[in-house]
Amino acid sequence: MSMDIDIQAFAGADPILAIAEEVFTAMIDGEPGHVLPALSAPELGDPMHAWVDVQGTTSGRVLLSTERATADDLARALLGMEPDEEVSTEDFVDALGEVANVVGGNVKALVPDPGVLTLPQVTQERPPTQDGSQIYELNLDWRGRAVVISLWKLP
Amino acid sequence: MRALVIDDSRTMRRIVSRLLGSLGFETVEAADGREALDVLEGGTHIDLACIDWNMPVMNGLEFVTAVRNNRDWRDMTLMMVTTESEQSQIVRALAAGAHEYLIKPFTPDAVREKLQLLGLVELEESA
Repeated sequence: MSMDIDIQAFAGADPILAIAEEVFTAMIDGEPGHVLPALSAPELGDPMHAWVDVQGTTSGRVLLSTERATADDLARALLGMEPDEEVSTEDFVDALGEVANVVGGNVKALVPDPGVLTLPQVTQERPPTQDGSQIYELNLDWRGRAVVISLWKLP
Repeated sequence: MRALVIDDSRTMRRIVSRLLGSLGFETVEAADGREALDVLEGGTHIDLACIDWNMPVMNGLEFVTAVRNNRDWRDMTLMMVTTESEQSQIVRALAAGAHEYLIKPFTPDAVREKLQLLGLVELEESA
């Protein structure tokens, strides 16, 4: 897969933002308008990272980063839980991984000659990446919480 | 009507099961194609299988192929529910024997519409 997504080719519409809006609207919020582009890159305290890789002729990674508390809220929204209901580690890991999986699958559809999508992984540690390998970053504000989607080339 | 929800994500299994439950389905869940085949081989009658593509152990396409190779399960309706949205993948799944294809993310209305097309949910009467 070539991760050279030509953002400019989408006539001013950011396709990654469009994917994020669709995912949050359909899966998480049930209505549009709760995820917006953020003006600046956030500092993530207690960060969590979820990612999928696309493995093909060349490979790339779709990485979703947020804070643990936000991951808990995403899990509550996805699972239809009450706002104060405790989220198990298994639930938030699975929920955050599935969000990354759906975003990654739709990003994969944007690139020519895509390869195979790996199963999602979720960790506290940011997955290792090479300097200069980031090709895109989208900072999002979801209900006042920071969510970052980034795309990376893999060796 | 009984549906088998096959997805390695328990989050997605719960979402799909909840949606199907609201449409009147009883649901059974499996975390991969092999687990799903175990359910079928155990004799549980399934009317509809909702199948993720990318799963460990046995993926969705392999499951569809296995089901289509067994005459005992020929009446089962198979619907892929997956992030794989390239046209070539859709064609592969339909050629293997899937009846419908739903791309994640989906809305409850999209699920209902697909099931209406398949004749598994009654059409809503217009107001």
